[in-house]
Amino acid sequence: MVRAEFDFWVGIVMDKFYDGLQNKQFIGSKCSKCQRVFLPPRNRCGDCFAKAEEFVELPENGVLKNFTVSNYNVTERRARKAKEPIMVGLIQIDGADTGIIAPIINISPDSLKEGMKVKVVWAKNVKGHPNDIAGFEPVGGG
Amino acid sequence: MKMERVGIVGYCQLKPELDMMMSPYEAIYSAVRGALDSAGLKRKDITTVVTCTNDYYDGKTISNCFKVEAGGAYMKDETKVEMDGAHAAAYGQYRILSGNHKLAMIYGFSMPSCYLYEPVRILELDPTFDRTISLINSYTAGGMQMRAYMKAFGVSEEEIAKVAVQGYKNSAKNPLALPDVKKSDISVQDVLNSEVLSSPLRELMYPIPCDGATAMILAPERQSLKITDTPVWITGMGQCQETYYLGDRDLSKSVSMEKAAEKAYKMAGISDPKSEIDVAELFGHTSCEELILAEAAKLAENGKGATLLDSGSALNPSGGAMSAFTPCACGLTRIVEAAKQLRGEADEYQVSGAKKAIASGQVGFCAQNSILFVLEGGG
Repeated sequence: MVRAEFDFWVGIVMDKFYDGLQNKQFIGSKCSKCQRVFLPPRNRCGDCFAKAEEFVELPENGVLKNFTVSNYNVTERRARKAKEPIMVGLIQIDGADTGIIAPIINISPDSLKEGMKVKVVWAKNVKGHPNDIAGFEPVGGG
Repeated sequence: MKMERVGIVGYCQLKPELDMMMSPYEAIYSAVRGALDSAGLKRKDITTVVTCTNDYYDGKTISNCFKVEAGGAYMKDETKVEMDGAHAAAYGQYRILSGNHKLAMIYGFSMPSCYLYEPVRILELDPTFDRTISLINSYTAGGMQMRAYMKAFGVSEEEIAKVAVQGYKNSAKNPLALPDVKKSDISVQDVLNSEVLSSPLRELMYPIPCDGATAMILAPERQSLKITDTPVWITGMGQCQETYYLGDRDLSKSVSMEKAAEKAYKMAGISDPKSEIDVAELFGHTSCEELILAEAAKLAENGKGATLLDSGSALNPSGGAMSAFTPCACGLTRIVEAAKQLRGEADEYQVSGAKKAIASGQVGFCAQNSILFVLEGGG
């Protein structure tokens, strides 16, 4: 098996997002025309094709818009039965117009409900990495 | 604007298998040779070859460069799309309409017995955030799409299970369906009792990736009529690309299919798809997605797609993707299945009096990109 390694430069906007994670802060971007706030941020609005370079600091709270509980752990290398069901959420952070996909934690799968208020749980050691988001938990406990 | 007609004049689908003995080149050659034979044509008649394979499914870059001879492209104009075979068909159609080509060979191929389909799809994700977290995959995306659909329109799991059951029953009548999915006695309860892949999506609502190849030949109008008395005409085509981000989209619908269908119907002069379309061969990644696509193609109201099981356009009489889900070939197979219906070649699953058909392809999670063809003629 031959493996090739690649780097991917995230760019100016996502770099800001990852810097934000390191400071336990969500950074979105706002379209200069329609004012929609994107998270993850991007430098343009696909619809308006206008710049979306204004950074917006967003709170730690959001709403669980959608979720699924998966019995499979799928990585780039394999798909195998998960030891514990994996709770995947689509979370819209308050003040953002789009959602991000992240793990849901500290709740039983049966208690998940769309529209639930959730709050981010940061990893113990944040380092400007996607895994800085340990997950989202229900506000006020599950 | 009415489009000049491009004709489908020949095709061949290999019998799909979970683990094919043939090599990729042997499979592609068999499909392409079969398509030429079906139309009474020779390799020298081909002027352009449009292929659909995928580098990250084939494990090598420029995956088409090894398939030149097998695909009939030796010393000819040749190109590749890395999307769905239906997109290759559109690309072939453009080449014919440019006036530069008299015969386009289109093929789609993949061999998922040689790679892990679900893990490999992780490579489709945004390379930093989504790929690192690795939570989006065929199962979870299908699960969230199904939950969004059920919630938005108050659709039950049972209704979606009924679509899966119909898929298996139709597959049982299709000689080119995988033997494993020919289940004429399956019940809604069987589907609802099958394992949860990612809630609420269950195993029996999810087509199995399998090895296969499909080839199809396109020609300009005059040329088509010289080749066959029964060409199937492409009278409309539309395509649309949505955003990548699932969190930007309303997963209960397919805006990409809505827009693709709008364009295709306008081109074909179709104003009332519900009454005008006899057969729909739609490539859905799950039973639920079949309904979402059928509704986006205006065959039923939103949330009412399952009514197509009782009346209206025939939805996936071949079994659809459920009959054989070959990546890169699935959408092309839908076009061939629709063409077979118009030509009256579908034997046990023939929709009687089929005059107008639609066929769709897609690529990306939750049908990020949809393409729809309107087909007529054939008899």
